[in-house]
Amino acid sequence: MSLNERDKSQLRSALQEAVIKCSERCLYQSSKWAAELLNAIPEAEVSLDDSRLSDASSGYASTVIAPNTDPAEAVLEANEMSNYLLAKSLFDCREYDRCAAVFLPETTLTGIVSPKEANATPKGKGKGKSKATASNSRPRNGQAIPKISQRSLFLSLYAKFLSGEKRKDEDAEMVMGPQDLGTCKNKQLITVSRVLDTWFESRRTEEGEYMDGQGWLEYLYGMVLAKEKNEESALFWLVRSVHMFPMNWGCWLEMTSLITRVDDLNRVMSRLPQNIVSFMFHIHTSLELYQHDANLAHSLDQLLNIFPSSSFLMTCNALLSYHAKDLVAAEQNFSHLLSLHPYRLDSLDHYSNILYVMNARPKLAFLAHLCSNVDKFRPESCVVIGNYYSLLSLHEKAVQYFRRALTLDRACLSAWTLMGHEYVELKNTHAAIESYRRAVDVNRRDYRAWYGLGQTYEVLEMHAYALWYYKKAAGLRPWDGKMWLAVGSCLQRMGRNQDGIKALKRALLADSYYEAGSSFESAADSMRGDPEILLQIAGMYDTLGEVEDAKAYMEMCVAQEVGPAGESQGETIAIHRDSPGGGSDDAGEGGGRGTGTEGTGVTAATSKARMWLARFAMRTEDYATAGRLANELCQDGVEVEEAKALIREVRSRTESAGGGPP
Amino acid sequence: MSRFLNPAKIGLLALIELYTDKTVPTSAIVDVLSFVTSHLIDNDISSPALSSSDQWQQAESIVNLVISISDFEKVLTPHTAASGIPGRNLWYVFVDKLWKIDSLDALHQFFDSCSALLAKTKEELRHDVEMGIPPPAPEVIQLSRNSPFGAFVRRSQLEFTRLRFHDAIELWKDFVKYRGTTAAYYSKKASAFQQLSFDNVLLAGKNEWGQSVEAIASVAYDDILRENPNATLPVSTDDIEKLLEFQVDQMQKFGNRVPLNIRHQFHNLVRDSYMVPSLSHYLSYLEAWRAGDYATSFDYLHRYFDYTMQNRDRSFYQYALMNLAVLQADFGCHKEAIAAMLETVSTARENRDMTCLNFALNWLFHFGRAHPEVTPELESKSQLGTGKESLTFLRSRAKETGAWSLWSSVLMSEAKMCLSHGESVATALEHLVRSSQILVERNMQNMIGSQLSLNIALWDRLGITYLSTTTCEVFLQCHARYAIFDEELKVKSRQASMLALKGKYDEALGRLGSLDADSLRSWKPSQYWHKFRGIIELRRDLHHNNLDGAELLLSQLLQSKSEDLEPDIAFSIDTLHIECLVRRGNLEDAFTKVEKMIAELQEENKDIALRVRLLLLKAELLDKCGRPQKAFTIVVRATNIAWRARLIPYLWPAIGAIANILCSLGEFEPAMQLLYAVLPRSLECENSIMTAKLYSHLGDANVGMAGKMPPKSNKRKEYLMKGVEAIEKAFNYYSSVEDINKQCEMMAKKATIMKVAGDYVLANDYAASYLALRRDTAHLKI
Repeated sequence: MSLNERDKSQLRSALQEAVIKCSERCLYQSSKWAAELLNAIPEAEVSLDDSRLSDASSGYASTVIAPNTDPAEAVLEANEMSNYLLAKSLFDCREYDRCAAVFLPETTLTGIVSPKEANATPKGKGKGKSKATASNSRPRNGQAIPKISQRSLFLSLYAKFLSGEKRKDEDAEMVMGPQDLGTCKNKQLITVSRVLDTWFESRRTEEGEYMDGQGWLEYLYGMVLAKEKNEESALFWLVRSVHMFPMNWGCWLEMTSLITRVDDLNRVMSRLPQNIVSFMFHIHTSLELYQHDANLAHSLDQLLNIFPSSSFLMTCNALLSYHAKDLVAAEQNFSHLLSLHPYRLDSLDHYSNILYVMNARPKLAFLAHLCSNVDKFRPESCVVIGNYYSLLSLHEKAVQYFRRALTLDRACLSAWTLMGHEYVELKNTHAAIESYRRAVDVNRRDYRAWYGLGQTYEVLEMHAYALWYYKKAAGLRPWDGKMWLAVGSCLQRMGRNQDGIKALKRALLADSYYEAGSSFESAADSMRGDPEILLQIAGMYDTLGEVEDAKAYMEMCVAQEVGPAGESQGETIAIHRDSPGGGSDDAGEGGGRGTGTEGTGVTAATSKARMWLARFAMRTEDYATAGRLANELCQDGVEVEEAKALIREVRSRTESAGGGPP
Repeated sequence: MSRFLNPAKIGLLALIELYTDKTVPTSAIVDVLSFVTSHLIDNDISSPALSSSDQWQQAESIVNLVISISDFEKVLTPHTAASGIPGRNLWYVFVDKLWKIDSLDALHQFFDSCSALLAKTKEELRHDVEMGIPPPAPEVIQLSRNSPFGAFVRRSQLEFTRLRFHDAIELWKDFVKYRGTTAAYYSKKASAFQQLSFDNVLLAGKNEWGQSVEAIASVAYDDILRENPNATLPVSTDDIEKLLEFQVDQMQKFGNRVPLNIRHQFHNLVRDSYMVPSLSHYLSYLEAWRAGDYATSFDYLHRYFDYTMQNRDRSFYQYALMNLAVLQADFGCHKEAIAAMLETVSTARENRDMTCLNFALNWLFHFGRAHPEVTPELESKSQLGTGKESLTFLRSRAKETGAWSLWSSVLMSEAKMCLSHGESVATALEHLVRSSQILVERNMQNMIGSQLSLNIALWDRLGITYLSTTTCEVFLQCHARYAIFDEELKVKSRQASMLALKGKYDEALGRLGSLDADSLRSWKPSQYWHKFRGIIELRRDLHHNNLDGAELLLSQLLQSKSEDLEPDIAFSIDTLHIECLVRRGNLEDAFTKVEKMIAELQEENKDIALRVRLLLLKAELLDKCGRPQKAFTIVVRATNIAWRARLIPYLWPAIGAIANILCSLGEFEPAMQLLYAVLPRSLECENSIMTAKLYSHLGDANVGMAGKMPPKSNKRKEYLMKGVEAIEKAFNYYSSVEDINKQCEMMAKKATIMKVAGDYVLANDYAASYLALRRDTAHLKI
């Protein structure tokens, strides 16, 4: 997917327009996004003539206000220019209520909202659409919306919406304080949705179709509906909006937050326009859903061809590596991004997570230093600093910084989750559960929060609850062995060994999936968990009384000391079934302790497995094996006493049984 | 900036670590440890090794350590390291240690690892035993937790934990900058050194980031990498507080002003300090007060108490009032001062603050003594009672409450009162001895000054000049550095005036000039000092008969007389004024002035010595008018008073005046007897003018006797010769004080006597030298 020069210049002008239009409507983040992307397109090696030509043709383009293509709207906009400028200035000064009142004074608003309430159907709010159709035929007693341009309407309603958000934030108490229950509502939502409802109804054609608007009001409506948890209709309006104006990234982000499953994404994709932004949306949303596959990487590469220096796409790239558990690549990506945009703080919290996992303390410290130097009152900076303190095991301080991040932005997802982790470390389970819960409330796709909830409940020994949350996490990350391991262990605790074995086998499979799909280091990472899982499975089989299976898995567990050297898990199992002695022999000679590059060496799990095997051999009167295994245990220096006792027992048994063999 | 930590403290920590690692060789241990300790412990500045010029050295060393690493270099360079590469000195090892802290994370680790320096607590040891960790070997140096080093290490750790993240960053950046000056040295010694070595992450990221590493570095370290003249200094609030306390302490103890260079440095530090303690307003107040800037000091005093009110509430109100009163008194607003002090007394009573109350009462008493013109209304209005009563009250209070300094100062006041009322010298001495016993018992060095100055005054009054000079010398040699500067100044001027009485003007001026110029920056001492110099110059001018110059000086001195707060200076100015008038021949004005002064004195009930002096002056004036007999009652009264009060230095001139009167009555024989009795004792007083005058009286009496003898008789000749001899002596004494007029007079007398005696050659000679003297006078005038 490469673009020629003409396409590029088209894209460029479209992005320019998007920047201007977004900033006209005070959608700062969207306009920032578009502007970043705009500057990521490499300038073609245009000759001087060309640029002069294009300059001449476009003439002086206003960088503040873009012309409207709809003539009627253009007339309206021209008429209310001064009012609009006032409203925009007020908005920029964050006087939201005053801004809204420029076009929609309170009296007008109540005129639109309240009469409807008087004779509207008594169905509750939040069913805007059905209600709208119901009241459509009825003549309106209420005041009509004043005849203003869509831009002004958007601006005023958006201001109203934001003033509600602001008030909500102000009403909310200190983060995690006694009054902070997360129950504060945006009180302006109803007003805004009523007005929009009325407006869209008034623009309905005879056939019940909506007249095409400019896309912005649809976006706002979608957003408001999403806040009211009316997700289906929200999606409907958002899709309409992106059809009309695809360059509004905020709109796409709203859609992303509405999509919680890959299936949803695929369904939505069919309803979306096919353009470069929807392409990006797909990638972004997939990443949000923790997807990672070759397709995604390929399309990201294509996009990166067009926007080689786009920080957004580079972040996506890094996250892709991260989800693929390729930490080194992810770290390099982020590091490169940092070198290109040293002042950009967005998404550096992900970077800090990566560094945290890699235990790169100096680098994390440096990152925290950098962030704090750029702006210490950004949620991202606070998260980075919190991560650093967490790595230093200064958990109180970490909590303090996560709280600060949340004070700055209550919707800061990672801070909620990380704070939950810190509370777990501090053994404050109630607070941990609450923060995890808040994280999940903000974003239902956060598997770490689900997993954390599960862990916390496990600590509290409420296994049924824990299982529920682990299952949620596993559903979000079906290819993560850790999740299945958690599910399995939980099931084991609850005494559901059959299900537990299934879950653990799934975990083994998941690990081998990563092994196949990603690079070498991460494979080694996931391998490390194996002996424990195997031991656990074996233990469950043992309790179920299926001794053969138990033995097989125990042997596999012991075999992990050497490592399967690149074979897939299934094959390993087969191999070790054939020759159970071979692998453990090597391990017994101490080869596993350093020679095998992929083996885990002697661990507590393998030793336990060996002990079990030795006992098992005793029971089945296979004294030779038992003696050998016990000897190995002695050599490994684990549970020496017990092993020696075993050896003595073996000796006495063999003596008594053989009656003095040579 | 942080409250406690700064790069210098990190350096000290590193040094302590080096010490516990045994990298410091045995020969250097004392140096290194004393260096570290001097910065950890507020050592008392009054250790005897310090002279007045190094009083401020500690402040300077604090400042130096804060602003640059070179202090470490000075201490460490001379020593070699005990381990590591041979030939490397301790400074290298230290720098190396600092550069090993190569990232923010390493800084965190550094502070984390500090706990390894400390001796373990019992619980930790128990825990270790449980975990199977062996106890540290006995030869390992471990800091006990409550030792100065241990406390410092623990405090540093605690403060570091308390730092917010961005404060930690600031500390790190400051540290990078602080260390930066050693980069040149370290790069020479360490081969792997690079430009980005200050942060290992940057160094490691160089490969990855390439060119943009500069951009990243500049984002992270903003202005450090460039040479920035406005860069801030890494000062911690702790340093500022230490410096402030030190300065306030110095100013209160010695009454000095802060030396200029230290003040500049301190200002720079305060400018960069994150938080300025309110004590700095107090410092500014003291500064302004010493500088004589009334408005500013007033402003700062109010500001200080405004800022401190909030955390100390009203319980310290009396101190605010007391400061206010002292300040007002110092600037001559006596009525306001009294009012403020009375309020202090009532507030202190209300708050039961005994120390404050005692101080205030003591102050009020002294103030009342010094400014009697304000007190009468006061005494009638309040229940403070008269001087004596309040003194006894104070003494009993001081004894009860154990306020030793108050007690001794009360005793001294009593002694002083005894002396000035002309009461028994023995009683005064008894008070003095008691006070001195308290001083010695309680080792109150700061009070020795006033004790000794009282001693000096006592010997002076008893006419034993030798003892008083010795006491002066003792004070200057042994006690001056503990006393406030004012006392040193007073004693030095006392010495100077004694020298001036002997005619050693240059030496006197030199003695005054030898005072610390820095201390003289304070307004009041410098005023005093200037006036005193003026008086000595004036005296010399008068003696040189340089009346124009003298009048110029006098006009300046008289101008500020009204605001002059030192009564003795005012009195000497007045007497010199009279002398000037006399020399001008304006006896009438001189006489009215003396009359006025006597009247004033009687009203105010002042020191008895002054009265005697005025009486003598009056007698002298009458003598000048040629009516010595009229002064007879005056002189007898003066003699009587002087005798009763043992005011020896005034007793002899009084006797001289009586002898003079006797001479004028023709009673030469008793006059001579009187003079012969008096003269030897008067020599003890080492007052040249007085002695000269006595001798000249003796000469007159002898000549008078010669007149009674039959002409041409041997007796007559003998008396004449005796007269000449006496006059010769008078001439010598006069010439030692360079009194031209009198010299001429004596010379003329000698010539006359010679002529009478018939020795014309000698008479001619004397006449010629008389003329020469006159010429010299004319010469001196120019």
